[in-house]
Amino acid sequence: MGQVSLQGIRKNYAEVSVIKGIDLEVQDGEFMVFVGPSGCGKSTLLRMIAGLESISGGELRIDGVRANELRPADRGAAMVFQSYALYPHMTVAENMGFALKMAGVPKQQRAAQVGRAAEVLHIVELLARYPKELSGGQRQRVAIGRAIVRKPAVFLFDEPLSNLDAALRVSMRTELSRLHKELATTMIYVTHDQVEALTLGNRIAVFNQGHIEQLGAPMDLYHRPANEFVANFIGMPNINLIDRPDSASAAHLALWEALQGSATVQRIGLRPEHLHLAGQGIPALVVLAEHLGDSSILHLQVEGVNGLLKAKVVAGQCITGQMVCIAPDASRVLRYDVDGRLMESGGNS
Amino acid sequence: MRAAKFMAFRLSPELAPYLFLSPFVLLFLVFGVFPLLFSLYLAFQTWEPTSGLAAMQFVGWDNFAFALQDEWFWKSLKNTAWLALASGVPQHLVAIPLACFIHSSFGSLRNGVVGAYFMPYITSTVAIAILFSSLFSTDYGLINVVLSGLSQIPLLGGLMPQHPVDWLNDPDTIKPAIALIVFWRYVGFNVVLYLAALQTIPKDIYEAATMDGASRWQQFWFITLPSLKPMIFFGVTLSVIGGLQLFEEAFILTGGRGGSDQAGMTTAIYLYRMAFDFNDFGAASAMSWLLFIVVALLTWLTNRLFSTKESHS
Repeated sequence: MGQVSLQGIRKNYAEVSVIKGIDLEVQDGEFMVFVGPSGCGKSTLLRMIAGLESISGGELRIDGVRANELRPADRGAAMVFQSYALYPHMTVAENMGFALKMAGVPKQQRAAQVGRAAEVLHIVELLARYPKELSGGQRQRVAIGRAIVRKPAVFLFDEPLSNLDAALRVSMRTELSRLHKELATTMIYVTHDQVEALTLGNRIAVFNQGHIEQLGAPMDLYHRPANEFVANFIGMPNINLIDRPDSASAAHLALWEALQGSATVQRIGLRPEHLHLAGQGIPALVVLAEHLGDSSILHLQVEGVNGLLKAKVVAGQCITGQMVCIAPDASRVLRYDVDGRLMESGGNS
Repeated sequence: MRAAKFMAFRLSPELAPYLFLSPFVLLFLVFGVFPLLFSLYLAFQTWEPTSGLAAMQFVGWDNFAFALQDEWFWKSLKNTAWLALASGVPQHLVAIPLACFIHSSFGSLRNGVVGAYFMPYITSTVAIAILFSSLFSTDYGLINVVLSGLSQIPLLGGLMPQHPVDWLNDPDTIKPAIALIVFWRYVGFNVVLYLAALQTIPKDIYEAATMDGASRWQQFWFITLPSLKPMIFFGVTLSVIGGLQLFEEAFILTGGRGGSDQAGMTTAIYLYRMAFDFNDFGAASAMSWLLFIVVALLTWLTNRLFSTKESHS
């Protein structure tokens, strides 16, 4: 079991409210990702679930039991820290077995449990080493191993891959997915990296200024972002947000018409991959062409439109300084009202 | 022309470093290396300085043999060991928990509290001696006044001395009195050492330990103490070296003579007296080298005690 229920959870530091009433049900065995910009409160909420931060208001239930007042070790949650937080003076085996030692588990049983966890993580040969003798990836495995040994109901990950290099991050991501399938335990994972969020999560909660902007499956968030914040935060390169034209620019008006903007629509969102180059269409200047190998990101200036539009096109089609014509895929547009909320279906897939 | 003249006085790049280093090297040679080698040379001579340098006579190992057969030398070593242990061990046993307490409490007042504990370390030994001479005074000293007050309390009174204690003249009490002053003087220094070490322990290790179910006491025992180990080694080494060379506090409190029955005479005081009171510079030098051997041995032993598999790996 590993059901986590948050009801009206709040956190205040003196007069400042950092978590503003979170309601969330994390199902047993689910991989839930908290994502959001720095300072949005996602890590604070995770630490509140762990018991490392007190809860100012609301109720936290783990497996149906109120956990607000429970000691961190009694909540059935294990945490993996961004910095690994391994005990430097203990061997890998001692690090992994520390929680069991504190729980009074006999030495032999401890060794057996540590051995099993080490096998799962392929770190058996590291058990006698000290943390300083390990690479970043190995340390992260040990940190995960330390959590696994406790057989928790919930795993809490606080940006666990942030300190790894790009290549290692990809392989650890795969490893975490494998572990989740193998252990089938609830995992709550905090990250600011949307790629991690989209690839790992069963569901994603997008945080902003202490509340959840949207909760949903990764592809729902990508294709149907409920508001401009989520639309802007999810997706790389960022979504194009085009304002309703208030100038007499013919190009801007033509673009708005092509996007099928109505009178009630304030802003239209269009993913860069849905803005195409065409023989005829709206004229645009290629301010910058970033060639990524398999594709190119074009930064385009359309007369009258604020900021640059981005288009993801087949590699090598344009060069910087070139004039091109663009045509949006009107079936993919996302329409937002004056409050930045998604209005109606934009033709998602 | 002027430029050419200036260039003529320019030092060559090969010589310049030696010139800039020379003040330190010269001072070090005169006040560091020379006395060291001279004392080693003296240890094998018999010499009464009033008779001039020519009065020196080579006596081989005689000075060392004399020192090793000298009752007072052994007594001074025992006194020194007693004082080093009685003042050194409590210094660390008190400084570690005190540093932990200050580290986790006091907030903005922290620096003031640390400063208060550090104050005795930077206070003149003479001022400290005056202060404690007054505190330890037989008739009017605060310590005897407090003890006298405590002796009035039923049950507890039985454990208290019934007469004023002559702390600085009684051979049984002079050592505890000196040890107390040394402890009081250096405990703040050790607190500062341990506070510096505590600040380097990452907070998230404690959070991980909290998640692992470790109580506050278990966190202290399993996380804080092992993390402080390198600093404990450093602090204990300083205490061993400082304790065995103890001089100032004991010298001033005993009037420079080691107290009645030489109960407060440390080895450093004895070899000072051997040289300047008894005019036997040869024996004093031999004793100082014997003391050095003891200090080196104990430092090595401390190192062995604190080295572990982890620090070797």
